[in-house]
Amino acid sequence: MDSILLRVLWNNLISIANEQARALKRTAFSPVVREAGDLAVAVLDVRGRLLANAVTGAPGHINTMRTAGEYFIQAFPPDTLKPGDQLITNDPWLASAHFFDITVFSPIFFRGKVIGFIGSCIHHTDIGGYGMGAGARDVHEEGLWIPLLKLYEAGEPNKTLFHIIRSNVRKPEHVLGDLATQVSAGRIGAERIVALCERYGLDDLQELADSLIERSEEATRAAIRKLKPGTYRGETVFDVPGGEEVVIKAAVMIDTDKGEMVTDFEGSSPPSALGINVCINYTKAYNAFAIHCCLNPDVPNNNGSLAPFKVIAPESSIINAKYPSPVSARHVVGMHVPMPVMKALYHVLPDKVLAECAGGLWSAQIFGRDRSGRAFASSMFNYSGGMGARANKRGLSATCYPAGISAVPIEVLEAEMPIVFDQKELLRGTGGTGKYPGGDGQIVKFHLKTKQPWMLNAIVSRTKHESDGLAGAGAGAPGRFLVNGKPIFDARKLIMQPTDEVVFETPGGGGYGPPTN
Amino acid sequence: MSNYSIAVDIGGTFTDVVLRHRDGRFWVDKTLTTAEDLKQGFFTAIKAVLTRADCRADQVDDVIVHATTIVTNAIIERKAPPVALLVTEGFRDVLAIRDECRSDIFDNQLEVPKPLVPGELTFAVPERMLSDGGVVKEVDRAAVQAIARRLVELKIESVAVCLLNSYKNPANERLVRHILTAEASDIFVSLSSDIAPQMREYPRASTTALNAYTVPIVKPYLDALQEGLSAAGFRQELLIMLSSGGVIGAGVAGLNPVRMIESGPAAGALAASFYAKLLSAPDLLSFDMGGTTAKACFIQNGQPLITTSFEVDRIYRFQQGSGFPVTVPCIDMIEIGAGGGSLADTDSLGLLTVGPQSAGSWPGPVCYRHGGTCPTVTDADLILGMLDANNFLGGEMRLDVEGARKVLEAFGKGQDLGAEDMALGIYEVVGESMASAVRAHATDRGVDWRGIPLLAFGGAGPVHACHVAELLDSRMVIYPLMASVLSAFGALVTPLRLDLFRSDVGLLRRLDWSLVDRHISQMIDEARAALLKAGCAKNLIRITIGGDFRYQGQHNELTIMLALKDIEARQVDSIRATFEAEYQKTYGIKLENLDVEVVAWRVTAYGPEIDQKTVHMAAGAQSGRHSRSVRFHDGAHDTPVIPRASLRVGEKFPGPAIIEERETTIVILPGWEASVDPHGCIFATRQGA
Repeated sequence: MDSILLRVLWNNLISIANEQARALKRTAFSPVVREAGDLAVAVLDVRGRLLANAVTGAPGHINTMRTAGEYFIQAFPPDTLKPGDQLITNDPWLASAHFFDITVFSPIFFRGKVIGFIGSCIHHTDIGGYGMGAGARDVHEEGLWIPLLKLYEAGEPNKTLFHIIRSNVRKPEHVLGDLATQVSAGRIGAERIVALCERYGLDDLQELADSLIERSEEATRAAIRKLKPGTYRGETVFDVPGGEEVVIKAAVMIDTDKGEMVTDFEGSSPPSALGINVCINYTKAYNAFAIHCCLNPDVPNNNGSLAPFKVIAPESSIINAKYPSPVSARHVVGMHVPMPVMKALYHVLPDKVLAECAGGLWSAQIFGRDRSGRAFASSMFNYSGGMGARANKRGLSATCYPAGISAVPIEVLEAEMPIVFDQKELLRGTGGTGKYPGGDGQIVKFHLKTKQPWMLNAIVSRTKHESDGLAGAGAGAPGRFLVNGKPIFDARKLIMQPTDEVVFETPGGGGYGPPTN
Repeated sequence: MSNYSIAVDIGGTFTDVVLRHRDGRFWVDKTLTTAEDLKQGFFTAIKAVLTRADCRADQVDDVIVHATTIVTNAIIERKAPPVALLVTEGFRDVLAIRDECRSDIFDNQLEVPKPLVPGELTFAVPERMLSDGGVVKEVDRAAVQAIARRLVELKIESVAVCLLNSYKNPANERLVRHILTAEASDIFVSLSSDIAPQMREYPRASTTALNAYTVPIVKPYLDALQEGLSAAGFRQELLIMLSSGGVIGAGVAGLNPVRMIESGPAAGALAASFYAKLLSAPDLLSFDMGGTTAKACFIQNGQPLITTSFEVDRIYRFQQGSGFPVTVPCIDMIEIGAGGGSLADTDSLGLLTVGPQSAGSWPGPVCYRHGGTCPTVTDADLILGMLDANNFLGGEMRLDVEGARKVLEAFGKGQDLGAEDMALGIYEVVGESMASAVRAHATDRGVDWRGIPLLAFGGAGPVHACHVAELLDSRMVIYPLMASVLSAFGALVTPLRLDLFRSDVGLLRRLDWSLVDRHISQMIDEARAALLKAGCAKNLIRITIGGDFRYQGQHNELTIMLALKDIEARQVDSIRATFEAEYQKTYGIKLENLDVEVVAWRVTAYGPEIDQKTVHMAAGAQSGRHSRSVRFHDGAHDTPVIPRASLRVGEKFPGPAIIEERETTIVILPGWEASVDPHGCIFATRQGA
């Protein structure tokens, strides 16, 4: 395949994934999908290898699509599939690491055989169980577990499964509506791939897949070979809901002979009793993401560009959760995985890394009754702290790294549930001082319009431990989670009084370089 | 008696003017844009075209329409005096926090646009309105008075006011304006509830701030134009082309400049709809490729698609999220970082990339001889033989073939390709990136892009259009007449249009129909009155009604056109069925057990249809035809080169062929056939296959 044709076809795959991601975002009921962009769409080959993904805000979803591909292929060998089959799972250990994220794979049939898959993963409005919080005591309390199954078989809906989903989630019409859209996006994406094959006279995607994976892998290995070999270490310490302290240690071994980077997380914290444990596929996703962004962000994301990044994680640790550990709020820990990795990479790529960031998004979910007594359950809504500074510019304020998802607008939330926001402003000066200061955190204050007690699932982090500065810079200020002015250190769902006022003060990011006076 | 109408379009480089007589004759003129004082070019152009037509100002008794780039320039250049923003207390950083999103998650070095209003000029107003429109905290008058006095001290001329939930109830914003103008009567106040009354605080604040920022530049400019026109003997009110393709009077436009951002492209899209009707091709893709970017817009059923949100001044690779959101109606156009000046490069995979970085107009492509050293799309087109080095801009600029060849040769070494193969690669990659962007844009809009004919214009558009058409499975490309003054032309050949809408969310099966009737009849009255003022005859005004619908729980709507009788008869089932059919067409599914919600009602009023059955073409000489070797995908061809002016109606010839105009070159690829229709438009059709 000549290089010009490869470029043209490759761009086409990315554009097909982008097309379907946009359709999903436009039609989604789930507010974190339609307002915040918490979704992924990918094109995979017949061997389940990730070829291209849409440019969305959720690296955890994108990179776990790759592991999901392998498991789907094992469970459903492509030669056993029939046109009209649609595959589904939300298994945390096989796909996107918590039940809320439902992954759908649509086989692409061309001339009677499967040539690949369109995969999509979105954070659904609800999945039953505990809700979006860290308080469940095991994974079963966290909601409905959908193993690797067929959602449609030869075009016929799996009625039993639909029935089970309908009976187990809080907003069945929204969950089923979004699932229908995932299936539709998969079908249309598959049609686009077929049209592409016809337009360029391809029999299947294999030559294209091999070329783009090979090229990406070679480019990544070449970039690694330019680094100074050795083992570099980084460590991040932060606190999670309830005040528990978590340590993630990363030793990044750069092997310039093989052209690979192995991150060993030995020494990281043991599993938590809270629902913040991270399945290994999610740890791998964020490790690869952190390195990719520093090393060679211009190489598109796919199996080839991700292959040279390997992970060793201690058996049964907070970043290698085992059944039946609860995992629902895994993003709190997972979004910190890049921090020790970037601290290690600072020794070889000082101009490319970020100083330590505020880390996980601060999120909330509320349940209660409005003034007329009608029950409501919100979807997750979230707020960012400050991003760490760069070698030659400051960190962005109230902007999350590693995820890039948006906050749901205040007016949207107020229109959908009886919530009233009293403040949302930057906390100036909370970013670490430095030649380039870290991004500032923000204050978000809200209360409810209700006459009855209500429940709050709040997922916060870094309320004690600051985000370190880099290269002699100051640290970002820790955040605060207050109810009626008092700090809260409770990970479980809180029972709130009607007049209670909630304050999130998200943490600042670390600065970069010694401050100049 | 309407005889003459006039349109002036001020773009970045040229100021175009078109004068039309009701019998269908046209006169056009083109002058250089006078960037320091746009008014000068405006009047120079008008004078020139009147002289050309031997016409007096007082004979121009039909409309005078103006499209201008002044608003976009003001936003991009950021040279306007500072403005202030007033927001609900507790939310001062609405512009700085944005939506918290990173437009490219892989880019650690990402930057976001700097807020248009700095923190020290953002003021907090103690007040609070809830999402149901109820006031829980009254506006603190003393606080607003103090802000007003501070604004006077700071010599601030223009203020944006964006209070929470004002889309639902504008009372608090209006009260703030009242207090401000009582203290400081000269200050321009832009209310978000007037400018962009839609849910979502950040885009609304951004839109209102953009409006406030540009009022002090645009209002004096339009006032001066109006005065100048009166002084020159013109009697009517100047009409301004809006981004939506509708028009309003210059007086109102001066206070709503944010609605004029895409004024020129909107008029261009109207020209495309004119051709869609004239040529009986109701669905078209207008494709305008210039020096830095390409713009594409779908025409469906003879009308351009309209969006209610877009971005201006994207600072990062034209990427979504890197500009300021604007939530007012606009021609739904996609802008792609691909133009004649787009730079070719290789990425770390060793693969070719083209754009979005551009050599701009300076130094421009290597072949411009202004010191450019990196190969561009224009250099590639030249090496392929598609452009004539000695006949660029009618021969005014001699292109440097050898310089371009050397650079492409050196660049091609890395790919083991010769200069021509490299050039062909650039041609193919830039075509594919435009086609990809068009396909994604189409899906966003629920448009089936397969096979849609292209209407090609712009300096580089006609060079690349056949290739882009092939990638969109299209069999037809149309090269219109008047392409070099297309926006000004568009403003005069489509009926005047005015759009109104009222937001009012409600479940379809539980609507307060008397309120709906009131919304619609008020809008109809308002729209009629405005068109009457612009000179339309009452019996010729046409009204259409639409609504924005979604399934309850979603937040993006589809606009559905409705029959007045369905509304009058409360035909809920028929309205739901119309929505669901459109939803199924757009997203491929229909959802069950879900309520349908209406979010807004829309009324559009159209002025009289314009009777323009033909576009005249100047007869040219049959001279200047020759041939040269041009490299295509299937190898080099000895290709005829034909001056456009020498073409006769009805003439037909096979591709490959090159047709040269002063401003552009039309490339008919092998496998295509070109013909000249009775209007002088060139049709390229794909043969066989």
